[in-house]
Amino acid sequence: MLSMKNVSRIYRTDVVQTHALRNLSLEVEAGEFVALVGPSGSGKTTFLNIAGLLETFDDGSYQLDGRDVAGLNDNDRSRLRNEKIGFIFQSFNLIPELNIADNIDVPLRYRGFAARERKRRVDRVLEVVGLGGRKKHLPSQLSGGQQQRVAIARALAGDPGFLLADEPTGNLDSSTAAGVMELINEIHRNGATIIMVTHDLELAARAERIVRLSDGQVVLLDEGGEGSELENGAAV
Amino acid sequence: MLGYYVRLAAISIRENAVMSLLMITAVAVGIGTCMTIVTVNYIMAKDPIPQKSEVLYAVQLDSWNPNDAFRDDGSPPDQLTYTDALALMDARSAFRQTAMVGTSLIVQPDDPDSKPFQASGRAAYADFFAMFDTPFLFGSGWDADADRRLEQVVVLSREMNDRLFGGENSVGENITLGSYDYRVVGVLDTWQPMPKFYDVTTGPFDKTEDVFVPFSLVASLQLPRNGNTNCWKPVDGDGYEAFLASECIWIQFWAELRNDAEKREYLAFLDNYVNDQKSLGRFARPLNNRVNDVNEWMDVMRVVDSNATMMLPVSIMFLTVCLLNTIGLLLAKFLGKAPEIALRRALGASKRALFVQYLVESGCIGVAGGVVGVVLTWLGLRGIEALFGDLVENLVQLDLVMVTAAVVLAIVSSMAAGLYPTWRACNIEPAAQLKSQ
Amino acid sequence: MEIGPILRAMTRNKIGAILIALQIAFTMTVVVNAYFMIEERMRLMERPSGVVEDQLFHISTRGFTPDFNGKVSVQDDLALLRQTPGIVDAVAINAIPLSGGGWSMSLQVEPGDGEQGHGVAIYMVDDHGLDTLGVELIAGRDFTPADVRERGPATSDWPDKAIISEATVKALWADANPLEVVGRTAYINDDEPVTIIGVVEKLQAPWNGWTTVEQSMLVPDKLIWTGVRYMVRTEPGRRDEMMPIVEELLARSNNQRIVRAPESMAETRARSYALDSGLAKILGVIMAMLVSITSLGIVGLASFSVRRRTKQIGIRRALGAKKRDILRYFLVENFMITTLGVVLGAVMTVGFNVWLVQALNFPKIDWLYVPIGMLALWLIGIIAVLGPARRATAVPPAVATRTV
Repeated sequence: MLSMKNVSRIYRTDVVQTHALRNLSLEVEAGEFVALVGPSGSGKTTFLNIAGLLETFDDGSYQLDGRDVAGLNDNDRSRLRNEKIGFIFQSFNLIPELNIADNIDVPLRYRGFAARERKRRVDRVLEVVGLGGRKKHLPSQLSGGQQQRVAIARALAGDPGFLLADEPTGNLDSSTAAGVMELINEIHRNGATIIMVTHDLELAARAERIVRLSDGQVVLLDEGGEGSELENGAAV
Repeated sequence: MLGYYVRLAAISIRENAVMSLLMITAVAVGIGTCMTIVTVNYIMAKDPIPQKSEVLYAVQLDSWNPNDAFRDDGSPPDQLTYTDALALMDARSAFRQTAMVGTSLIVQPDDPDSKPFQASGRAAYADFFAMFDTPFLFGSGWDADADRRLEQVVVLSREMNDRLFGGENSVGENITLGSYDYRVVGVLDTWQPMPKFYDVTTGPFDKTEDVFVPFSLVASLQLPRNGNTNCWKPVDGDGYEAFLASECIWIQFWAELRNDAEKREYLAFLDNYVNDQKSLGRFARPLNNRVNDVNEWMDVMRVVDSNATMMLPVSIMFLTVCLLNTIGLLLAKFLGKAPEIALRRALGASKRALFVQYLVESGCIGVAGGVVGVVLTWLGLRGIEALFGDLVENLVQLDLVMVTAAVVLAIVSSMAAGLYPTWRACNIEPAAQLKSQ
Repeated sequence: MEIGPILRAMTRNKIGAILIALQIAFTMTVVVNAYFMIEERMRLMERPSGVVEDQLFHISTRGFTPDFNGKVSVQDDLALLRQTPGIVDAVAINAIPLSGGGWSMSLQVEPGDGEQGHGVAIYMVDDHGLDTLGVELIAGRDFTPADVRERGPATSDWPDKAIISEATVKALWADANPLEVVGRTAYINDDEPVTIIGVVEKLQAPWNGWTTVEQSMLVPDKLIWTGVRYMVRTEPGRRDEMMPIVEELLARSNNQRIVRAPESMAETRARSYALDSGLAKILGVIMAMLVSITSLGIVGLASFSVRRRTKQIGIRRALGAKKRDILRYFLVENFMITTLGVVLGAVMTVGFNVWLVQALNFPKIDWLYVPIGMLALWLIGIIAVLGPARRATAVPPAVATRTV
């Protein structure tokens, strides 16, 4: 699904060059659930931006679903994001002035679906996240957990097959967080590829594989969650 | 505390220089445009003689065509015939009264080297000066005897006295007007009622006349008439006498009636007079005599130009757009300060305190806008002067009332404009703002 | 088009939209009415007076001594003027077109008291009148010296011949053509007969605001007043040069009178329409200022709205919006606000005009101005929002993952 080889990203200001990613290589198979962990400043967000086609990179190659994305222009990248990638953000990123249905509707509109198809999909994903009755509510009228469920519904609505989750439970209390994680797990069981960025190792343990980032590079690849315990202290 | 708020406002205004400049400009341009138009209207609609406007009455008699009203609304003619004017003067039924007409006289200076020139004149009765409170620099008006005895006396305007006598006291001197000698009995001080209410038939905002002479000379010396002459019926016969005896109207008539009783009596007198005339075959129209006090008369004569009236709502809409603009900008600015407001709230500022703070800021913008607005108003009036020239010369004076009005309007309207944004800003939830930062 | 969600989003953030819509509505009300008024005034100002304005000026004199002889003076002056090189012709005349001062009489087709009369402006001239004014005779003949009589200050009857303007023909005899009316009789002063000997194509009355400004009549009365005005026609291009020469000439020829400064017809026209042209300029300035202020307002509030929604734009980009989708979003949003404004503006425009018509007797606006005004403001709205909307497209999608 995702294949990065020697990807580098350098942020330049007048005086400093920062290597946010250096020669990062990562392969994620279709249907995999990978957790990306690392301390602040390790390049997690940059990775997420590049993987999600929100940002370009300076060097290396990146194939998403078999397609080389390096040379794509802004429009193509937008379309690819729209069709292939679902985002789940730490702060939910719902549009405050739009109601729940309209929020989920946003990517579907850019996809160009007809009205009936959009409605069908909105209804379906709201059922999936268990918020069928809240279509007309505004984000501010929902609890944090509910908002994140809406965000997940929005990510799923276009059937992207590839979910990028950025600290999906970062703004939630632990019991709500558990519910949201359960939902993400369920989505994974239904066949989605998921990359979850987090600094919470306990959360990461729920993934099939943990990738550790430090200084813009992958430092350790774990198979399964168990082996990570040792590194806890360093990571948090 | 107010000082503190003003300081905060100054900091905030400096901080957002471009936005603040835009707001001040919007307020100033709105005020400037609006006040320019309002000033012109204000002068047009001003009471020209506030101390006496309620006792001075313009007299109308309906001597017009039996088949056709003078105006479509049925109101009587705005001037009198010579016959009627003389009759009303002879009766002297009012406390004071004067018939009058504009004239123009050729002034021949004694010095043979200076060229003769034309002066605007007004022929009136002795009461004219007392009725209209004309200020005298030297001497006084003539008395009623002079009217009766056809004395060739003259009252000069200050300007004319400056021109002819270098500003010296000229009472007792003689001047030559249209080849007749006149004795100067008085010199007026500067006198320019606005509108020139006593005769608005030609230009209601014209300059007052240069020389004033007894009305009786109009007939005896055949002074030229300067004004409108309307006739509904051909003059019967040739010559000046025939004209004077005609039904042509060309004389303005004013009466001073000190109270309601006098006014009622005078109206009764007019009705009696007209009824007498009816028996002589004149005044075939229904009885329709009117007296209007100065301000009523200005309305009847439509002294306020309809173009100026039209500009009034235009300029108010203009100001509205400017203020809507300011509201928008203030809203943007204050809501942009949500974090700061939240912080102040967290530090213990009450809603009220914040409200005052931001209202002071809007007020400061208003003061700045008002001051610039006054300058723009002045420029606007100069612009109007440049466009219309002497048509409006006397209409484009900025006076203290208008300046004060402009500044107050600017402050009030910008504070009003600031009210909603301020209210919105004060209702920002401190918790939500602080957390998300 | 995502009209539904944009509309729902807007209703949650009404005030900004309402502020812009109101500004547009007020702007449209003023701009459309002002534009209409400017056009009206321009149309009035463009009407020709019928005389050869660029070759004409007028000058008045008045004798002031008791023994001043008006008759001799006019005769001498006219002889002098007509022989002066550079002058084509000259005439003593009682009124000047466009000047605002003149004499009008009522003309009627049937004699008698109570018959319907038609107001006409009177121009008293001699047999040089038509030539001096440069009006075009389209039927009948000019005055001959034999037609001309003298008119002193005491004369109150009328000559028995007249030349009228074509508009006067239409007023008196509705559908008659100018050729047929030559020789017909009209009545002045109720029952004095006047034979129409000629018709001129156009000659305006002195009052430009008169509803029947095109109705005028020339009568063969040579003025012998002590105060008189001469209309002087110069050779083309020599008007300005001749004016001081004539003033000097008249002043020197007789010292028992004053000669007032000459005025060219161009100046007379400018003075005549000073109010209209001045008003047109004021309204023009107000229109320009309003449009700029409203545009700036749209730019300002749209910029603010873009800044406030930076995060949201980033989210939309992340969810797959292309740059043009973002551009379209802001254009559509603005279009809807503007639409609200122009619809409200159309109602207010008509309302304001109704008030002008009823309270101030202003002309009624042509309905076509309303849709044109709406279109113009739509366009202004789109142009104004283009800048901020383009800035919105520059928001990078990565904004979505930023926490602040």
